Amino acid sequence: MAASRGWRLLWHGRCWFSQDPAAPPPSPAPLYPPIVASHTAKSKAAKRRRLEYFYQQVHEAATIEEKLRLYGKLQRPKYMVYPQTFALNADRWYRSFTKTVFVPGLPPAVPPAAATASEPRALEALEQGVAAAGDAEALQPGAATATEAAAEAEPELDLGALRDLACDALLQESFYQNKKRPFLYRDQDHTPAPFLTQLVSSLAAFLCKRNPLLAASSLDLNPEVNYYWHHGEEVVVHGHRKGRVDPVRFQIDDKPHLQIRVPKQLPEFVPLDSDLGDVPVVDHKPSKLPLFKQQYENKVFIGSKVADPCCYGHTQFHLIPDKLKRQKFIIANLEDQIEVVYRANGIASLFAWTAAQAMYQGFWSEADVTRPFVSQAVVTDGKYFAFFCYQLNTLALTVETIQKNSRKNICWGTDSKLLYDVVEDGSVKGFNDEVLLQLVGFLLNRPKEL
Amino acid sequence: MARDGGEEGRGWRCSDAGWLLIGTSSPFRYPLFQLGGPQLRIFRPNFFMLAVRPGVPQPEDTVQFRVSMEMTKVDIKNYLEKIYNVPVAAVRTRIQYGANNKRDHKNRRVKKPDYKVAYVQLGQGKTFQFPNLFPEKEDSETEPFDDFRKFMEKEQESQKGDPRRGGVPDWFGL
Repeated sequence: MAASRGWRLLWHGRCWFSQDPAAPPPSPAPLYPPIVASHTAKSKAAKRRRLEYFYQQVHEAATIEEKLRLYGKLQRPKYMVYPQTFALNADRWYRSFTKTVFVPGLPPAVPPAAATASEPRALEALEQGVAAAGDAEALQPGAATATEAAAEAEPELDLGALRDLACDALLQESFYQNKKRPFLYRDQDHTPAPFLTQLVSSLAAFLCKRNPLLAASSLDLNPEVNYYWHHGEEVVVHGHRKGRVDPVRFQIDDKPHLQIRVPKQLPEFVPLDSDLGDVPVVDHKPSKLPLFKQQYENKVFIGSKVADPCCYGHTQFHLIPDKLKRQKFIIANLEDQIEVVYRANGIASLFAWTAAQAMYQGFWSEADVTRPFVSQAVVTDGKYFAFFCYQLNTLALTVETIQKNSRKNICWGTDSKLLYDVVEDGSVKGFNDEVLLQLVGFLLNRPKEL
Repeated sequence: MARDGGEEGRGWRCSDAGWLLIGTSSPFRYPLFQLGGPQLRIFRPNFFMLAVRPGVPQPEDTVQFRVSMEMTKVDIKNYLEKIYNVPVAAVRTRIQYGANNKRDHKNRRVKKPDYKVAYVQLGQGKTFQFPNLFPEKEDSETEPFDDFRKFMEKEQESQKGDPRRGGVPDWFGL
């Protein structure tokens, strides 16, 4: 009734309402559902819709575990990338898979230069037989500006004590302890492995005072680090899915010898968008490296589960296995591949670790990282040490996301250097202090607030 | 090492390298070899390696060969390094199965032979690109056409007959 009276009023007097006649009347609620592509059809639009639905589900996952579960739910044959590999020029291929730029040397922010400034004088003083306490007084006035800031807050780095720790560990494993001959192809497990464990744990314990981050850290023995990602596209060659275009899947399953995980992220070396070089582009299929495919669980793991408070990485220590010893390469006339082994190990392991850390914080290829993830690694075969620093700037490596992405991951690395020449008659000959200092510098790396 | 019968001219058969043919006169024996002694025997392998164009694009340092089924990776490496002075960094092999599906006119299956394929990665940074064995010639269109035309003209002239008869065929006459 009221409606009909209102309708008549409207019909007779058009200017009754105070509304602006030019404005369109408010549209009623839509009567039909939105027009979108089909969910189940065999069409590109339907495939795109299913993909968007999957991305939406991963974005909206309630917990990180759920996100990781959905991310790696679909199992398909994938390339297994081994960080420790005999493949020739593997580091170039690995850089192309992970969009990493390799910069020789170490980043400018890594501290050992500060420590080394005081060390030459410490050496001279030690040779003269002055006590360590006396050294500190003599050196502090002459210390460089970089060390002054450090030296104000903390006492001097005692090189003698550090060298003693290292030599003790080495002599215990290779001289004092009565070991039988190593089993065939188990040379690395016989001496270098326990030496490395002992060295790192004793150094970390010694440096806890100077680096409170180490005091809150977690040292893992033989942990597992896994990462699964897509990069590039290929056409399926055999099987019932022949002819379809699939992303190329990779999985790294790494077992470092030791790793240190910390509750706070290390500071970045360079800003997020820096461009320090070029990423090599390899036109060939990864199977030409050679790299082989298998289908199994798509695991993303940093060494501990998501709930662990120590969810950021600090340093990893890798031991080169017997198969990739220096001597074998020299005999086979492949001297240039020795450094390739170290570099490939550093790049692949650190990419997997930093990317897994980023995934633990909720980032993934569709939700790229907003801050860089930084980790360090030391790759050694017991005698030769190579140092690597990695900054993860981007996780977006899939075909769609890589087009708009100009960020690159960066890996700094050194060549392998000798720690000592030989162990003879209860003493270590030719001990290289620089390598030890570099190691100490790595362990002392911490965020600026601490 | 096995020795074939007492016939003259037969050789010693080695397990991996091939046949060594001795002269047909008095049977000559090399002294027994012991580790560290002088290497007097020369083994000339009876293998052949065929460099082929890869069906699938290979990296620049990889060369693809078809080799004898009895060759091993070590054999291939030694063959290339010692005979051809080619630095070899790595060798990977696989055996290609030849299909047995074709049938002849008596419905018997015809087997295509199996062969071994070796992918050799060259050392010291060397690269190899399989050459184009049949390059296309630029002015191939005009030359054979000219020759063809000249040939056809010659043929037609030779079939014309005696010009003094004024086009009259040669069967016309007494």
